[in-house]
Amino acid sequence: MKGICGRLLEVDLTTGTTKDMAISQDLFQKYLGGRGLGARLLYDLLPAKTDPLSPENVMLFMTGPLTGSHVTGSSKFVVVTKSPLTNGWCDSYSSGRISVELKKVGYDGMVIRGKSNHPCYLRLDGSRVEIRDAGWIWGKDSFETERMIKENEKDPSIGVSSIGPAGERLCRFACINSDLYRQAGRGGVGAVMGSKNLKAIVIRGEKGLEPFDRKMIVELNRKNYQRAQSSQVAQARMKYGTSLTLNITHVGGILPTKNFQYGTWEKALEKIDSVGVYKSNRGHKSCISCFIHCSLVTEAADGKYKGASIEGPEYETLAMFGSNHLIDDLPTIIQANILCDKLGMDTIDAGNVIGFIMECFERGLISTSETGGLDIRFGDPEASLAALEMIAYRKGFGDILAEGVRAVSEHIGKGSDRFAMHVKGMGFPGYEPRGAFGSGLSYAVSPRGACHRRAWPPAKEILGNYPPYTVEGKAEMVKGLYDENCVLHSLLVCDMPAKFIPLSLDDYSQYFRAVTGETVSRDDFLAVANRIETLIRMFNNREGFTREDDTLPYRTLHEPLLDGPAKGQCIGEENLHRMINEYYELRGWDASGIPREETLKRYQL
Amino acid sequence: MKITTNVFGPETTLKKEVFLELESPTLREVLGILAGQHGAAWKRILKEDLSLEKGCVILVNGRNVSSLQDLETIVHDGDEITFTVLMAGG
Repeated sequence: MKGICGRLLEVDLTTGTTKDMAISQDLFQKYLGGRGLGARLLYDLLPAKTDPLSPENVMLFMTGPLTGSHVTGSSKFVVVTKSPLTNGWCDSYSSGRISVELKKVGYDGMVIRGKSNHPCYLRLDGSRVEIRDAGWIWGKDSFETERMIKENEKDPSIGVSSIGPAGERLCRFACINSDLYRQAGRGGVGAVMGSKNLKAIVIRGEKGLEPFDRKMIVELNRKNYQRAQSSQVAQARMKYGTSLTLNITHVGGILPTKNFQYGTWEKALEKIDSVGVYKSNRGHKSCISCFIHCSLVTEAADGKYKGASIEGPEYETLAMFGSNHLIDDLPTIIQANILCDKLGMDTIDAGNVIGFIMECFERGLISTSETGGLDIRFGDPEASLAALEMIAYRKGFGDILAEGVRAVSEHIGKGSDRFAMHVKGMGFPGYEPRGAFGSGLSYAVSPRGACHRRAWPPAKEILGNYPPYTVEGKAEMVKGLYDENCVLHSLLVCDMPAKFIPLSLDDYSQYFRAVTGETVSRDDFLAVANRIETLIRMFNNREGFTREDDTLPYRTLHEPLLDGPAKGQCIGEENLHRMINEYYELRGWDASGIPREETLKRYQL
Repeated sequence: MKITTNVFGPETTLKKEVFLELESPTLREVLGILAGQHGAAWKRILKEDLSLEKGCVILVNGRNVSSLQDLETIVHDGDEITFTVLMAGG
């Protein structure tokens, strides 16, 4: 099988030793790579009930069989570990040069365990592997860290992934930054790195793998580029990035507004939506190995943050720091995005927990005496930004906020859990499930917590022909979306080109053939996805998760949405249970969410 | 009656108000009138025969009309009609 190296780099930071771990071709065939192979390895390598922030936790940096092959959207890696935010399964994705460089060095991934007794960084240069002292970059923000490393290496194109102050201080939603503006954002993977005293990973490879049929890859890219050129969806995406999603969620009534109390926000229009973002656009960018330039570089045009510039903000940041905080000032959101990236925090969970605190203030559940004088109110941009600094450095009340929205609601009590918008501890992303019931199911059964990457139900419930406020057919719909993304995230390619060129699993079957020489059909891919999703369920079950964890906040289940097309809707316990029952059944799991014996047999688990 | 239209695509226009001399028309009737009033952005979504270009849909009040009554969906005063490409992801 071409396209794979057949080995991982195993690093023990406690002993300071490294060695190779062979991976059989059989494992690649059963799990592909990325999420799938990561699931198999985490299940096998991590002892049950391990503390996520202990040296015993295992971090896997995984590539996929298509990584480094020049297939469009293939410069991604996934960090697989046990999450300090949820205490369960975590897979966190990012574009980044280290993915391509790792493959060039000759590894499909890295297994990192242990804890260094001093700040360190891992450096791979050709065949040389070193664990180096990071005293000179410890304490620096992510942008500065990357700049200093590249300067030290005298190589501006070397792969660098690093954590910022939030990761060093074990903020439970700390991210890992790559290439300045790309993040493995969700689940607190930056905190796991911080817990190991690992500041950065630096990789420079030499020569890539030879694919099975390079000419075929070029031909497929050419054909699919032409499809993108004639696709209005792709053209819109390349012009506006993800900001156009805000217009759709607003119209569909699923735009999180005022900590998920409302589903629309007129004030967002032409300010923090596609029109507003496009006015501040200063250029477009693409990730390595991708012909879709769907990332916008924006610059604050006026006000206090005039001149502040970033690659982004993406939709999730616009929603979580915009409508969710009732802030319609794009420069403020750009600044929030910059702070999160520099300090090394997930914009979704950061925006979520701040929105939650704003509602707590509004309801009189907390006061400035508990927050060290910080008055955090809806519509107050200064307070929102000040909170970010407090979280990253765990200053005062920020020390509590850095634990994530579930922990904060437990700290405050007084019934605040009713509007703490999370699943399994991970904060809701930018979609209000009461206006699209399938999103509710997708959040509830997601093994990593409330997640918009396993499935994107608005494609079916707002833009597609599934009625949004019903449960019929939603389990099958969500499973189908999950399985398709599972394949993409195991191959490991960006799911965006797949959605808007669009590219089907048959198209990826052709790419897979071109890179590996193996013939795998769409149905074969989907069988692998079923195996992987059941294995991840087994992982979480072993960690103590039960059906009770597959649930939604009180607000989503019982409080009618206050405005928009879905005004008056809430999902309800009965509807949620019905969707979950049907979803488990489709997966071959029993009513408790435990995979049946025949399911394990079918998927050779 | 007054309706509002949006176009989300390579060219995006928001909240255009349109006054119609009709009472509770079908979407088909509304589109017939709009066809003569809108510019290039709108025409990239809808063909001359009122069928949709590939990758495009129509929403009435945030609902895809194919989950309502398609072109026979009744349009009311104050409704919002959105012509959009099938965006995905955020």
